[in-house]
This record gives sequence, C-alpha cells and structure tokens, in this order.
Amino acid sequence: MTQIIIIIIIIAILIALSIGLLGMLKGGKAGSNKMFKSLVIRVALSLSLFIIVMFSAYMDWIEPNVIMMDAFSFQ
Amino acid sequence: MNEREYYVPSATYWPIIGSIGVTTLFVGFANQMHGASWGASIMALGFSILVFMMFGWFGQVVNESTSGMYNTQVDRSFRWGMSWFIFSEVMFFAVFFGVLFYARQLSVPWLGGSGNNHFTPDLWNGFSSTWQQIAFSTPGLILQSGTVISVPRQLVDAWGLPALNTALLLLSGVTLTFAHHTLRNGDRNKIIGWLVATIVLGVLFLGFQITEYGHAYHDGLKLTSGIYGSTFYMLTGFHGFHVTVGVIMLTVILYRVQKGHFSADSHFGFEGVAWYWHFVDVVWLGLFIFVYWL
Repeated sequence: MTQIIIIIIIIAILIALSIGLLGMLKGGKAGSNKMFKSLVIRVALSLSLFIIVMFSAYMDWIEPNVIMMDAFSFQ
Repeated sequence: MNEREYYVPSATYWPIIGSIGVTTLFVGFANQMHGASWGASIMALGFSILVFMMFGWFGQVVNESTSGMYNTQVDRSFRWGMSWFIFSEVMFFAVFFGVLFYARQLSVPWLGGSGNNHFTPDLWNGFSSTWQQIAFSTPGLILQSGTVISVPRQLVDAWGLPALNTALLLLSGVTLTFAHHTLRNGDRNKIIGWLVATIVLGVLFLGFQITEYGHAYHDGLKLTSGIYGSTFYMLTGFHGFHVTVGVIMLTVILYRVQKGHFSADSHFGFEGVAWYWHFVDVVWLGLFIFVYWL
C-alpha cells in the first residue's frame, strides 16, 4: 500500500513538472502563471514524498535496498 | 524590434569552438582512463576551451537580448529550443531508469534461473541472483572469487548520505521557488539571496557526492563492480554532471539578475534554468526512491 502511494505521488510530481514545461513553452503572463503554480505544486509534492518515504522507513513499512552484514559467504 | 521582422543572427564561430573544447576534453579523459600521463593536461585544456566558449557565447546572446534585437517571435523560438533540449534530457534519463528496471527486474533474475527457460541456476556454480546491495562492516573484504564487492556503509545506507543529499536538493527547489516568486514580484534584492542559497545547496550536494565517490572507490564499489556498480555510477554520475551544469546556469542567471537583466514580466532565461533545476531535482528524487528504497 505504501509503495502504491509513493508511486502515485511520483506520477503526480511528473504531471506537475510537465504542466510547468507546457507553461514555459506557452510563455506570456498566462504561461508564466501556469508554470509557477505547477512548480510550487511540484515542490510541495516532492517534500511530502520525502517525508512519507522517511516516515514509512522509520515505521518499517518499507525496507531499504541494502543488507547490512558483518560477514558474507559467496558459496 | 518590429513584430513582423525576424532577427537572424550573423554567422558565429562559437559552436565550432565548443566542439573543439568537448573533443579535447574527452580525448584527454579517455587517455587519462588508459593511464596516459598527459591525459589530465589535455582535459584541463578542453575544459578551459569550454569555459571560454561559454563566456563568449552566453555573452553574445545576452548582449543581443539586452540591446533589443529579440521580439516575441524569437522568444517563442527560444522556448521551443529549450523544450526540445528538455525532451532530449528526459529521454536520456528515461534510458538509464529503463536500464535499472531491466537489469534489476529482468536480466539479473533470469541469470539466477527464474522466469525464463533459457537460463538455469547452474549457469555458474553457486550463483544466486540478488540486486540488494550488501554493506560490510569490513572494508575491502575479499571474496572467494577474488572480487571485492564491499561498499562503504555511509554510501549505501539510505538513512545516511543519500537522505541528506535528497533533503539538500529538495531544499534548493524551495529556495529557487522563492527566487522565482520574488522575481515575479520585482523584488530584485531578495532574488539574489534566494539564488545564492540555491547555488550553495547545489554545490554542497556535489561536494558530498564527490567525497562519497572517493570513499566508494577506495572501499571497492567501482564502475567495474558488475551491473550494479555500472548502473549506480552511470545514474548518479550523470545526475551529478547535470547538477554541475545546473549550478553553472544558475550562476550565470545570478550574474544577470545583478546586472538587472530580467523584469517581472519577461524573464525566459530564468524560467528555462528554473525548470531545468526542478527537473534535476525530480530525477534525484526518483534515484533516491528507486535505487535505495523500492
């Protein structure tokens, strides 16, 4: 469930970033406003995602891709 | 300039100088990688040519802009040019994220014998596929195969340096947004402070990356450390290169802001660089989550 939420927020960030790009491409006052607003949303979503990931890790809802060990046998 | 006229720039030699600089830089880099003693000198020469080109070419475009040669038609062509550049950048990183997905989810499990009849678990005696990084408390541990694959804990511990660097870059996104906001409100003095903060955060990020690359190489995680090492360095290395380019671009924008080049209504140069920085920020967020967590 946590992973699904993370993926959804990532997709939302990409959409916000894309809308910002379209605003930049359009130019003018309307385009500039569109770009700025979507980038503000992008930043807010990114910060939220970072906090969610760190909190989920703290709560052991997700595991890091790293195994910590003191010894290792290959065979 | 009349809206019905189109400014056509005169012939310029800057692209050729840039090409010479890039070629020199990479010839030096390739020879440095092959152990040639003169490689670093040639690299430095190539880098110097590139810096010279940037000063000259940026200066020429800025002068043309401030002298009123550009109209809305030219502005539109700049926006399209930047958009195509961004498209190429998106495709560039899409390929590397695709490589990460393919290697981790498909090819490495296949080599371990799963999900594909072409490969068997006996391909190499004792081979078991794993993508997870293994951090040893003993640096430089030598395995039976003779391969050193231990990695420094602080590099791979998702709670350590990667989280700190993510926080730094996300914070730089916030400071840049404040700079953007103040520029739109025409508050020039505050823009400079926010831009300087963004640049400092970017440089801090690069500093931490370089330091940890040094530790990683010393402790055994290298470009040659299998598909993991190659993918890890290609992704994070090219991202670091883009942060470097972003810092250079932000520094140029800072200089232009100090010169009073942008207005609240017309600041495409700032917008282009700001979007680029937000993109680089999002790429790192993707790296942090897919390399270290998911």
